Parts: sequence; structure tokens; C-alpha cells
Amino acid sequence: MNRILNASIRLSVSTLVLAASPLLAQKNQPAKIKAAAIQVEMIQSDEIKLPAEFQVALYENLIRQLEKNGFTHVYRDGDRNATNVADLVVLHSTVRGFKAGSERARQVTTVTGATSITVHCQFTRPDGTSLLERDVNGKVRFFGGNLKATYDFAKKAAHVAQENFSSPGRE
Amino acid sequence: MTPRSRAVLVAVVLPFTGLVTTSGNAQQVPGPVKAVQLTGLTGVKDNAKGTLNVENGRLHFVHGKESSDVTATSIEDVVTGADSRKSVGNTVGMISMAAPYGGGRFLSLFRSKIDTLTVKYRDAGGGLHGAIFTMPVGTADVIKKDLVAQGAHTTAKVEPTAAPASSSTPPDKEQKQ
Repeated sequence: MNRILNASIRLSVSTLVLAASPLLAQKNQPAKIKAAAIQVEMIQSDEIKLPAEFQVALYENLIRQLEKNGFTHVYRDGDRNATNVADLVVLHSTVRGFKAGSERARQVTTVTGATSITVHCQFTRPDGTSLLERDVNGKVRFFGGNLKATYDFAKKAAHVAQENFSSPGRE
Repeated sequence: MTPRSRAVLVAVVLPFTGLVTTSGNAQQVPGPVKAVQLTGLTGVKDNAKGTLNVENGRLHFVHGKESSDVTATSIEDVVTGADSRKSVGNTVGMISMAAPYGGGRFLSLFRSKIDTLTVKYRDAGGGLHGAIFTMPVGTADVIKKDLVAQGAHTTAKVEPTAAPASSSTPPDKEQKQ
């Protein structure tokens, strides 16, 4: 009888520990930075020669993905409406690596011709105070045109923003 | 020079003159050009097929019954490039991947060349937008010239002829602007 009681106590304790672990993990996560709105600057590629269509596709996809990820106010580069917004976060992106790849090679060989792009994302306040810096990459390995790498990057960058910033409409 | 030899000379030269004028006119696009708007144009879905032309100082894209305009003076940069796309279309192309003995992969080898036109422009609030179009070979440069003539700005003065074929370039080869 005692053995059964012991076993049931152990089982319940271990269940409690397992159930509580995600809650503890959440407590350990760093607090999200308050961001009422985000402004996306045009992608810079001074060191790496990036085709204009990639630059524009990166920028447009990034804005679209940030809007999808719950940022209620996403301002474009140079938007005058963003000047007086409180808790504004500015996203500066600089291309650090680019491999054009080949859609034909991808489809014919499957293993070669991947397109990849690495972008350094820096989130700052309008005064230039840095809040967060990350290198985010975008890839297309099997299907799709080369520009699909820009979509992959945008999704990952928006995810980084979602993880680290709290927008009023998203909480 | 006798009248007869003059006539012979004219008969010989005339066909070549015709050839020269036709090749010169090949770059001119009188009307709207068939184009695909890949992304970026406000109010137009991605990959929308339509026609593109420059008239009255505006870049005019017509897609079905809808149309979208960008004022030439608001354009900060126009860049043309070259690319390629699969000759065998989307659905058929995907289905063909299941074909036996690598038949689908064989079809992937066939690609047609296209031009790309990338424009960066500002809206009324100063916000920067970018739009990408693809169109038949030889038409992007003409549209670019029309846009520049009507007040658009460009950073790339000398255009590449066929260098940056992004999809058909061998791997590891970086595109040139």
C-alpha cells in the first residue's frame, strides 16, 4: 500500500515539475522592448553589390512581413508621419553577404544553385540608440526564383522583431 | 556615274537601308508593353500580369480593369536588368517534376530571357516604395528612357546589356549592376 502511495506522490510531483517548466522558462525570457511603431529604412548594400531588384524585394517583403506579424504601424523610409511617434523603433538593414545562385541549377541538380543572402539588422531608437542587432539570412534551396530568398529573410527578420518588441496592438 | 550604274547602286543599297532602319526601330516600343508586376506597386497584387507604358509624365500599369500610376517626377531611381524565366509554366512545370527519367528536370533547362525594371519612388508622405516589373527583352530600356525623359531620376547611367541574368547565371557568380 505504501509503495503505491509513494509511487503516486512521485508521479504527481514529476508531473507538476514538467507542467511548470514552460512557465519558468517564460519568466527567464528577457522583457520585450516597447515599440509603438517601427520604421523600415531602405536596405543598404555598400560593400556587397546587390541587384536593385533584390534590394527592393528585401525592403518590400520586410514591410509586408512586419505588418503581418502584428505591428500596427509600419512606416516606410522617409515617411514624415513617423517623426513624432513615441516609442518608435527604426530598423536599419545592411547586406553582409549575397550569393546569387541559379534557379536552373537548383531544378536540374537539386543540390546546387542555392541563393543566399545575409543581412545585418540593427534596431535603434530615432536618436540612434541601439536596441538590438542580429544577422538574419534568407535562402532558397529547391523551389522558386532567386527573389524568394528575400521573402525567407523577411519572414525571419519579422520573427526576430516579434520576439523582441512588444507592439500595443499585438500584446 | 551612268544612270544604269546608279540604278544598280540604289538597288543594292536600298535593301540594306531597310535593314538598318528596322533594326533601329526594334528598340522603340510605341504602345503599352506586356509586363508582370512582381511586387511593390500600391494596390496591385504580386505577380499581376498587365500592360505598362509611360504617358503624360506617369508610369501607367493596367491590370485587368484596375490601373495604377506612379508620377515620373516622384521616381528616385530606375534600374533595368536582365533575367530569365522557365519556358514551361508554373503548373505544368511543377507537374513535370514528377515525370520519369528526369523529364521534368530536362524541361527546366529551357528558359526564356526577360528584362527587369526596378523603380524606387516616394509617396505623398515621403515614404519610399519600390516596384519590380518583368517584361519582354529590349523593352525595359525604352521605358526607362521614357521615364527619365519625363522627369524620373536614375543612379545607373550606363545600363548592362545582358550581364545580370540572375536566375540563369551559374552559381557563385555575383550579379553586376
